[in-house]
Order: sequence, then structure tokens, then C-alpha cells
Amino acid sequence: MNTRLASRLIIGTTLLFLIGPFVIIILAGLSAGDFMTFPPNGISLKWYLKVFTVESFRESFALSMFLAIFGTITALILGIPAAYAISRYDIPYAETIKTIVAAPIIVPGIIVGLALLRYLVVPLNFTVTLALFMAHTALVLPYAVRVVSSSLGNLRSDMEEAAVLLGCSRIGAFMRVILPNIQSGVLAAFILGFVTSFNQVPVSLFLSGPGVRTLPIDMLSYMEITYDPSVAALSALLAFLSVAIVFVAEKFLGFSRYV
Amino acid sequence: MKYFLATTAALGLIAGAGHAQDRTLTISVYAFGQDAMAEAVFNPFEEVCGCEVVIETGNSVERMAKIEANAANPVIDMAVMSTQDALSLARQDLLQPLDVAQISSHADLYEAAKDPLGNGMAVGYSYYATSIVYRSDLVTVDSWADLLSDDLAGRVALPNITGTQGPLTLMMLSNALGHEGADYAQTIDAIGESGDDIVTFYNRSSELAQLMLQEEVIAAPVGRFAWSRFSGADLPFAWAEPTEGQTGGMNVMVMTKGNGNEELAYQFMDYWLSVEVQTRIAEAKLDSPANTDVVVSDEIAKSLTYGAELINSLTMLDPAAIIDNREAWVERWNENVVN
Amino acid sequence: MFQNNREGLALALPAAVFTALLFLLPVGILLSEAFKVDGSWSLQGYIDFASKPLNQTVFLRTLKLGALVSVVSAIIGYACAFCIVNLDGRHRGRVFGLVVLPLMISPVARTYAWIVILGRTGIVNDTIISLGLSKTPIRILFTETAVFIGLLQLFLPLMIISLVSAMENLPKDVIPAARVLGANWIQVFTKVILPLTKDGLVIGGTLVFTGSLTAYITPAILGGSKVLMLETLLYQRVNVANDFVSAGVIATVLIVMSFGANILLKRIAAARN
Repeated sequence: MNTRLASRLIIGTTLLFLIGPFVIIILAGLSAGDFMTFPPNGISLKWYLKVFTVESFRESFALSMFLAIFGTITALILGIPAAYAISRYDIPYAETIKTIVAAPIIVPGIIVGLALLRYLVVPLNFTVTLALFMAHTALVLPYAVRVVSSSLGNLRSDMEEAAVLLGCSRIGAFMRVILPNIQSGVLAAFILGFVTSFNQVPVSLFLSGPGVRTLPIDMLSYMEITYDPSVAALSALLAFLSVAIVFVAEKFLGFSRYV
Repeated sequence: MKYFLATTAALGLIAGAGHAQDRTLTISVYAFGQDAMAEAVFNPFEEVCGCEVVIETGNSVERMAKIEANAANPVIDMAVMSTQDALSLARQDLLQPLDVAQISSHADLYEAAKDPLGNGMAVGYSYYATSIVYRSDLVTVDSWADLLSDDLAGRVALPNITGTQGPLTLMMLSNALGHEGADYAQTIDAIGESGDDIVTFYNRSSELAQLMLQEEVIAAPVGRFAWSRFSGADLPFAWAEPTEGQTGGMNVMVMTKGNGNEELAYQFMDYWLSVEVQTRIAEAKLDSPANTDVVVSDEIAKSLTYGAELINSLTMLDPAAIIDNREAWVERWNENVVN
Repeated sequence: MFQNNREGLALALPAAVFTALLFLLPVGILLSEAFKVDGSWSLQGYIDFASKPLNQTVFLRTLKLGALVSVVSAIIGYACAFCIVNLDGRHRGRVFGLVVLPLMISPVARTYAWIVILGRTGIVNDTIISLGLSKTPIRILFTETAVFIGLLQLFLPLMIISLVSAMENLPKDVIPAARVLGANWIQVFTKVILPLTKDGLVIGGTLVFTGSLTAYITPAILGGSKVLMLETLLYQRVNVANDFVSAGVIATVLIVMSFGANILLKRIAAARN
């Protein structure tokens, strides 16, 4: 019983360390005063409400959503065929391709942003938004490929072969046999990609310009200027959003199987 | 799912494309007080010109570097920054000379604000004094040397050498400690020795305001434009009047070369420098006016750097001297202070 | 049906080309800036960079903090993973979910919380003073300690996940068997658990170390200009001085360190065999 207690203590303290700050943020956002304190003196929802009125947050939220959704979709469009090819075929240069696609995760984000700014945006006149879009797509692609590969790995290839034998075209077989069966894997990849893109900071640090800012960067700037609790409130709301998305996914898909 | 996607697609397109529809003026301004500035200047201007004002914010030196980086394809139409950063851009041929005929209030500006860089490259729009802000309930500050004293050890912040306030602080500290030499070598070393006692080196005035309000520090040199944040706070702050005097500077407006949007940019500069707008800004206790026709009440004047007498009493640092010596200062600072 | 490799290649190529052209190429060019001086190849950029004391300090500090966070998270990680693995199914799922939770939250939010907690008027100081451990608040923000704590919280979940994954695959009777044979807990750990879970440790270690090297927000906010790490130094050099040579050097150093750490850890793991 001693070990039970010890076990609980260890887990409890660790969870406190990991989750505690998150809880504090939620509560600090409820401060009634003009100023961030914890414990809050007085409870008020005004900061949570204020978040929705700050114009720059709305714009940057829209941009972040746009990047997350379309970046992930593009990554899936590129990634699903790649995952299919890697798991079903024995393609030449398979290792090289796998390494190339996985590389973005290794490169420090801040360098990515800087490189794209310097060599794509400025000289080739790409808009900052386009560069951001490409960066986010490339960052999500490795996750997309990996998750879908994993899902494909669980799927036997003989079903597809049977479909073709029975007269289905290759593409038909793919659409009717493969896709429906990897649906949850794809959705899992989408959600993982979405959250990764949405919370991405280092890449966006340099790839931001007048009027073009992702939400995390906007929050950072806001934090430097104002110390009022609205930043805490916004952080809490975003955290809820991320968590809710993942929670829903887990409930309906059990997607942790694919990660 | 489809509707959701469609809506966000629409949102994304709007967010991106909306800017392209109206006439747009892209400006680079200080981050501090931008909400209030938006209310006093940027938003009213949008109504006047029927255009959209897109804002880039940050501290002066960062924004200067951005303009340098984008030289081939200027993103910014007009910018406001410190005199020395503007001079740096002028020397790199990144600015265009201003046609003062397009700025109706030009003649009403302080003499020194009319052509601070020479060749009409810039126009001053605001003065500020720099001194030390401190918690009057915890300490008293009468000299710049107090920054390195035991009283403030562990509770003081200094501006980073790369910012605008950094060299000004160096100069005053040098004077106060009786050091000689424009390379401020002794002063930098002195700061280096007290390194542990300095909480941090702030990059933006807004950072500093936070630190003070969080009570991480109780004293720091800062520009008067930040004073409104302290005077209105719950904690008691005071503005030092050190024996060595105050320092300060002038912020200027510049126009980037070849931006293609000169007409709007001039309209905006003209607007910002007009008596009406300068008075509005002054009354909001944001920036002190460079337009001599601006009149404000004594009460408001106390929060600003107002009046020829005060402006003339400030020990300013020659912008050319700053540019010429900056690299050496940063080298030595990196070696002895931040190391 | 899957014999036509050219078909397969065609399917995989778009993804690879996209990443290579639009991502790796610009990054590669940036890294090469560090090797050029006035247009010709040279190591001078590196030599200049390495000779400045500030850069040396920042490099060592980054290395030190990265290693420290990795080691501490490994210790806490093993303790936690061991407890989690021994929980029953329902609890285990919940606890695991809670551990993963912080990873879904933006680093901005997570770091911001620390300002409130570690500040002079924050919880930690309040507790310290009320417990009588100190009369005046201690300075935590803008020190290496603050950055360490922030990084640890950021990456501990990754280590725990890796270790739980590894420990789940331990045969159930291995530990009790060792105990029955007379091993004390330390021996159980070093002779049984460690060797069997070393792959998890390598993965977790790499993730944590690499993450700590390349973190930006946490050192920026909790460390400020006084406690510079390689990434915040890079940001400063570019933002203020457009110093792309330094940027290239730092970038290469970071990537090399990441690879190096991974290889080193793999070697150590293999050596234990």
C-alpha cells in the first residue's frame, strides 16, 4: 500500500506540474481587476469576452484557421498518395523520399521562416501568406504521411487486389476499397495536422508582416504590450479549442491508435 | 463539414484579399500605445482618406532592419522611428527626400524638427524626454549613477544596447560616473560588473511597463512617451529629475524609396503633423508635439515633454555619433555585459 | 499489382518534390550562407562566430540546459512511466490523456502561465515567503532556472509518452522475477528496466534534447535578453542587424547538434548490449 501511495504521489505531482499552469491561466483570465494576478481578486468574465472584440485577434484567428485547414488538406492531398506508394510499392529511393518528407520536423522552425522569407518572399515576390501556407503544409506533411501509412499498414492489400480482379479500375479500387477503410486514419491525420499548424510559432515569427499574423504571434505581440488578463483568457480559450478537437476525435475515432 | 470548410475558405480569402480592395497605406509604427494611437490618428485618417491603414509594429531598430531586408520590394510606405535609425536608412539610400510643399504644417514645426537628417530625408513629429521611472514608495532616485547602486541591486532593469534608449542611458551613466570617451568603454564595463544585479535588458518600452507593473523591477530608464502607463497605475511611480539632467530624443517620419504610394503617404504625414491631430495626440498623453502651434493645458503638459524650454534642456545624443559607434558598443556589450 | 514501381514513384513524388523545392532548398541556401564569405566558400563565418565569447557562452548554455532538461525529464519520466504502467486500464487511459494534454496547448499559453507563477508576486514566491524560507521574494524570472523549468514542462510529456510506450512492452513477469531472485530496486532498474526500454529512452531523449535546443518562446519570455539561447540569439541577430551569416551558422549548429544527439544516444543504447 506504500507503493500505491508513492505511485499516486509521483503521478499527482507530475500532473500538477504539467497541468497546473494551464489551470492557472484559466483562472487568471477570470480576474476582475485590470491586472493579471493569481489568485484572482474577484471573478469576472469580461476578459474572456474582450478577447472577441480585439480586431487583430479576429484577423489572426482567421488566418490561422485558413492555414490550418487548407494547409492540412493540401498535406493530405500530397501525403495520402505518398503513404500509399510507400506502403504498397517497393519504390526506388524509398528511404530518400521518406527522409525528405520527414525532414521539416528536424529543422528548427525559426530557420524555416527565415529561409522562406529571404529566398522566396523577398526575391521572388511571394506573398507572406503564400509562404506561410507552404511552410505549414510542409510541416504537416510528415504527420500526414506517417499516420496514413500506419493506417494503411493495418489494411490488407488483398482486398484491393480482389476488387481489381473483379473488374474494378485501379482508381475505383482505391476510392471504394482503400479510402473508406482508412477514413479514421485520414481524419486523425487531419486533426493532428490541424493542431500542429494552429499552434505553430517559430516558423511564423519571421513570416509575418503588416496585416499578416498568425494567432500565436499576435498573442505574443499583444502580451508584450498589455499585461491585462485578456491574454490569459485567449490562451485558455485556445487551449480549450485544441483539447476539444482532440477529445472529440478520441471519442469518435479512438485515434490514438494511429499516432 | 462542407459549410464549415466553405466558411473558413471565405474567411481566409477575405482576410487576405480584403486588404487589396481599398486603397491601402502600409505604415510602420511603434508598438507602444498603438490602441490609443489608432483611436487618435489611424482610424480617423481612414475615414478622411477613404483608405485602409495597415500597421506594422515593433521597436524602432527591428522595424528599421525589416525595411532594410525588404529594400528590393518595399512593403512599408512610411515609417516613424528614432532619428538614428532613420539616419541609418538614409545612408543606405533607402529613403526618399520629402517634398515639404506637401506637408502644410511644416513651417510650424520646431526648427530642429524641420530637417533633422539633412537633405529633407525626414521630419520630426514628436519629442520625448528620457529619465528614470521609479517606485516612490520604495526608493529615491536623484542621479543616473543610482542605477548601479546597491539600493536598486536586483530590482533594476536597463534598456538593451540595441534599442533607442540604450545609448542614451549609456551617455547619462557615463556623465554621472565621470567617465570619458565616446566609446563608453568604461561605462559598459561598469554595467558588466553589476550584471548580476540587473534583472534584464528590455527591448521594448512595453516590456518594461509590464515588468514594473508586475513588480519585477522598481526602477528603470524609459522615455516619457511611456509615462502615461505609470502615472495611471495603482502603484506609486515617480519621474526622476537627476542632477545630471534628463536625456531624450526626437522621433521622425520617413518615406521609403520607390514605394509607389507617395500620395497617400504624404496625405497621412500631413494629417499626423497638423495642429488638430498633434493636439489630439498630446491630450491623450501619447506623444509630445513637434508642432509649435499646439497648446495644451498645464496639467496635460506635465505628462508630456512640452515646451521649448524643456526640449532645449535635454542632453541629446547626435544621431550620427550613435550610428558610427553602435557596432563597437554592441561588440563590447556582448562581451562584457550579456556574457 | 504493385509491381509497377514507376507508378508508385509517381504517387510519392509530388510530396517529396514539394518539400524539397519549397522547403529544403531555401533552408539549404540559408545554411550555405554560413559557409560563404564574399561569395566564395570559406569557414571564416564559423571562425568569426565561434571566436566571440558571447556566442560561446550562448552555445554552452544551450547545450547545458538541453542536457539538463533531458536528464531530469528522463528521471521523472521513468518514475512516472513506471507508475502509469502499473495502473489499471481505466485510470491509465485517463492519466495518459492528461499527460498528453499539454502537448495540444500552444506554447505561448504554457509559457505565459510561468510568468504568473514565477514572478516576484507570483505563487512560488508567495509560498516561499509564507513558509518562511526567505524574507524577500527571490528572483526567478529571467534566469536560467526559469528557462529550465519552462522547458521541462514543455517536453516532459514527450519523454513520458516514449517511456510508457517502451515499458508497456515489458513482459509482465520480468520485474517480479528479478525481485524474487534478490535484486534490489536499483539493480532492477539498471539491469532489467533500462536495457529493455532503451529504445524508448533514445527516442524520448532525442525529442526532448532537440526540442530544448530549438525552443524559442520559452527562452524568449522566461529568459529575456540576459539569458540568451541559440534560437533567441539567432532571432536577435537577424531582427536587429540582418546578420544572416550568424543565422546560417546557428542554424547549422542546431541541426548538427540535433543529429549528433540522436546518433550519440543510439550509440550509447547499442553499447549497453
